[in-house]
Amino acid sequence: MSTQGFRYGVSLYSYTDDYGTVLTLEDCMAQIADLGATGIEILGEAHVPGYPDPTTAWIDQWHTLLERYRLEPTSYGSWIDTRLRLSRNMTAVEAADDLVRDIRLAARLGFRLVRPKIGVVSMDLKPDPIWEEAVERALGEAEKCNVVICPEIHAPTPIRHPITEDYVRFIERTGTKHFGLLIDTGIFQDRPLPYFPGETEDMRTTFLNGIKVDPADFLLVARHVVFIQAKFHHIDNQLVDHHIPWEKIVPMLRQAGYTGYLSSEYEGARDPWVSLEQVRRQHALIRKLERSLA
Amino acid sequence: MLERSLVQTRGFRNAGPEGGRSGFEFLLRLPNYRGMRASLADGVDVTVDGESFPHTGNTMVIQGRELSLERLREAVDLRWTVDEPAIVRVAKPGGLSIGVHRITVGVRLRQPYFPIQHQPSIVNETREATIIL
Repeated sequence: MSTQGFRYGVSLYSYTDDYGTVLTLEDCMAQIADLGATGIEILGEAHVPGYPDPTTAWIDQWHTLLERYRLEPTSYGSWIDTRLRLSRNMTAVEAADDLVRDIRLAARLGFRLVRPKIGVVSMDLKPDPIWEEAVERALGEAEKCNVVICPEIHAPTPIRHPITEDYVRFIERTGTKHFGLLIDTGIFQDRPLPYFPGETEDMRTTFLNGIKVDPADFLLVARHVVFIQAKFHHIDNQLVDHHIPWEKIVPMLRQAGYTGYLSSEYEGARDPWVSLEQVRRQHALIRKLERSLA
Repeated sequence: MLERSLVQTRGFRNAGPEGGRSGFEFLLRLPNYRGMRASLADGVDVTVDGESFPHTGNTMVIQGRELSLERLREAVDLRWTVDEPAIVRVAKPGGLSIGVHRITVGVRLRQPYFPIQHQPSIVNETREATIIL
């Protein structure tokens, strides 16, 4: 691929339920390498045995496998579990400690991005207000570890929204280069997801029908975007995605000059090994669209 | 590696001495894509052959420590990991008979990144499992 183009990777989240039951870490890496992809994204508290204190033997094995499959670590997912106890909320200092712990572990594993998933306080997923102090307290460690902290913009939160604006204001206020935005392409979903077994119309939360963000909105925040999770749910054997309009997204990413990662995040049916085929189809589809722009 | 089902085949057994069984236990895979602090688990409802054992009365063994529901909710120093099933212990004088049982679990999890109105999330699953002893 041209160095001007996108970089391709996969989040191990794509292999949820397969990972640890029918796939090992090495199986996943072999699959990712076979796509011609170069990036691997993980979730600390899912894919690191012994988290948050893996053995040095495991860390050595991680680096050995990266070398064997010629993969580079991209984004490391972490959590700030603000409602850890029923009896009281987490404090900003505790939240910062958790974030610093993950920044250090991520850096040891070679990651340059840490995505904290922050507890919410409202139905429209407003993050707990402690996020701002917590992140600010962790910025020094992020700088030391050369890591960028990047919360995700994820449905039902669109780009034009106070939550996204607060994150951008934080970057402007602090002037930091260690905080950025991660865009989850689920925000561009423009057709409804299938109902899950037993789901009724009453139970359906609106965002499962797609919040249909205009791909052109990406241009508004592109300068702050450090990573894209290429969320998808189903691509058929004609390479048609049933929910995410890649034919509109890919040209917009190109227009914005985005040259970072597209990291597959498959979130569809969890029958064994289906994820492997779905991720391949997504790479075929997006690469085809990218080539057609050249 | 673990089995796909939440209730694992191995580990389903009676507790207490033969002739004086106090209950039964089984191994449960975490129904989540990421490990969690044990305090984010909110117990497990269990039904066996139609008889219900609510989450309030069952205990869980996580990283070697047996916890009542009350203790579980404060167990911020323990982690229920994706690769290590928890033991669920249910009190039932006499235990279960030798043979195949229909077991249903309702695993209650609290995810801080979901609105509190939607919590806990409850993951239900039913399978047949066999008691040998």
